[in-house]
Amino acid sequence: MTTTTAEAPTRRDTGDLLFRTLTGGWIFLLLIVLLSIFLVLRPEQFGSAYNVQQLTINAAIFLVLAVGQTYVIISAGIDLSVGSVLVFSSVVSSKLMLYLAGDGGTSFGTTDAGWGIILVGVAAAVLAGMAWGLLNGFLIAVARIPALIVTLGTMGMALGGAQILSDGVDVRAMPERLVNDIGAGSIAGIPVLVLIAALCVVVAGIVLHKTRYGLQVFAVGSHIEAARRSGIAVNRRLISVYALSGAMAGIAAVMANARFGTTTINGHVMDNLTTISAVVLGGTSLFGGAGSVFGTVVGVFIPIILLNGFVIMGIPPFWQTVAMGAVLILAVWVDQLKRRLRKRG
Amino acid sequence: MKWSQSRWVLGLILVSLSLSSVQAQEKGRVSLVLGTKGSPFYQSLQCGAMARADELGLDLSVSAPNRFAADSQIPVINAVAATQPDVAVIVPTDMQALVMPVRQLAQRGSQIITVDQTLADTSLVETQILTDNEEGGRMAARQMAELLADGGKVLVITQPPGSIAQDARTQGFEAQLGTQAGFDYLGAQYQANDPQKAAEIVTSTLSAHPDLAGIFATNDQGAIGAVTGLRQAGALGRVKMIAYDAASAEVAALKNGAIDALIAQDPAQEGRVAMDSAAALINGETLPATTLTDIVVLTADDPAQADQYEYQADCL
Repeated sequence: MTTTTAEAPTRRDTGDLLFRTLTGGWIFLLLIVLLSIFLVLRPEQFGSAYNVQQLTINAAIFLVLAVGQTYVIISAGIDLSVGSVLVFSSVVSSKLMLYLAGDGGTSFGTTDAGWGIILVGVAAAVLAGMAWGLLNGFLIAVARIPALIVTLGTMGMALGGAQILSDGVDVRAMPERLVNDIGAGSIAGIPVLVLIAALCVVVAGIVLHKTRYGLQVFAVGSHIEAARRSGIAVNRRLISVYALSGAMAGIAAVMANARFGTTTINGHVMDNLTTISAVVLGGTSLFGGAGSVFGTVVGVFIPIILLNGFVIMGIPPFWQTVAMGAVLILAVWVDQLKRRLRKRG
Repeated sequence: MKWSQSRWVLGLILVSLSLSSVQAQEKGRVSLVLGTKGSPFYQSLQCGAMARADELGLDLSVSAPNRFAADSQIPVINAVAATQPDVAVIVPTDMQALVMPVRQLAQRGSQIITVDQTLADTSLVETQILTDNEEGGRMAARQMAELLADGGKVLVITQPPGSIAQDARTQGFEAQLGTQAGFDYLGAQYQANDPQKAAEIVTSTLSAHPDLAGIFATNDQGAIGAVTGLRQAGALGRVKMIAYDAASAEVAALKNGAIDALIAQDPAQEGRVAMDSAAALINGETLPATTLTDIVVLTADDPAQADQYEYQADCL
């Protein structure tokens, strides 16, 4: 659709091509500018291998969540429940692994559960996440309740469910292999968490932009009635999109368990807004039908790099909050200008 | 437009470069990572630390996450680690999730001090600066006995389980209350830093127990909400109210009689002690494993003392 820009450059003149790269890649340019400013100001601190690695690890969990959110928003929906579904899945997964490892009493530290148990835990997290996603999708597509309300509701239900399962107390005992090999481990110098995120991004990007399924998601978000009349199984597409978002939250839950070495029930409150703003920053339309996974990746990194750079430069905390809000509005404003220009010309 | 933009960026770069050259002096570099932005308690801690850092000639930079949660704080700690300060003073927001980031910080050559909260693995930590939260809870229960000579029904409003400090306050309070005759403990209700929720808890508890005699709120948000709930139900003064901390709203409520006693910490002192400890570490001294700072009971009889302990961000 509109985002697969590389299709017919020959038909347009070079001026148009330049215009498109500058506007379409605007947010990417912003990322490059931010990186250059911080690199010039604090080269040995911001540019250190350590810092770059930390930046990517900090982005990893958000990347996985935001990819699911991209599908949902392109289909003209919204998923507010991702953070709570992450918490729910992490509690289900860690409780199950703890039970299977037969090490119920400990409240701290690690268990020596093997890879078999960890795999079961991963499957449980993904299935739990997907179950919430299916519920979201069913209520939105079949029961025709607005996505905002449905996912606001399941946001509360999933968090409450996690608190019921755990009595509100974080599960502290994680399998040692999960924490050491996945949470803190790396393969060929690249952190495993980052590899998982990259894999999710690449697969999701290919499916969205290169398959018929992806095209149908765009179509549903672009004009749901037109999609229905052209023979797309709209309800099934919608349900599958929310199920995907839920499953991504399940994967992110495993990553969070591995990274933190504990469940984080009181965290992830803002994950929904963080991912939505990343998706919008990346140029995906909140009204559906247009967007890209690559844009979302850029959108995830911008606030993370801002925060990192601001802390390194010692900018006072309150100003950081102001600056990040301003960047979001600025980016979306430029995006709107771009769309208007394109419509006119 | 592009041209003016790039000039603007260049200007920004120049300004920041001149700022950074001022910083590059041979002083001890200390980073302080607070628990969350905008909390009077941590701002007061920050002010105490900044004042003392000035006196000691330390180069102090302060940062804080948006929320009091591990996932919000870890990126901040990572960024601090990239700057490799001599000493990092951390308020760990989760005793387990912060172990790994703090370990990386230590591996990159920073010495670690924790303030206010603790880590599960203290082997990385040079000293922890703490208050005795359980004792604070016991002090609240003793104060309750002074206010209610005949005992009565008592409610606790606290955070959901998982906050070590607030759990300890509740445990201390429950243990001490159990030894005091005549008290009927109604249990703890949870609010997650949400005054609205605390107000609802108080009004609905009053519906179930019109003879409610006392409330202990383990933090300022709970206290503010509880006072709102009591006012709404017309039960101010009839129900005795004790709360932890000394945020401005709590001190004001203490002075106008809505709160009967406050259990106050001294965050500015924690900040000063943290900087003293940091300076000592830079000079190669060793420190005790824990340093306890004061907790005091504030009552309406002594408004001067309440003013002295009020959590104030007087330097920002």
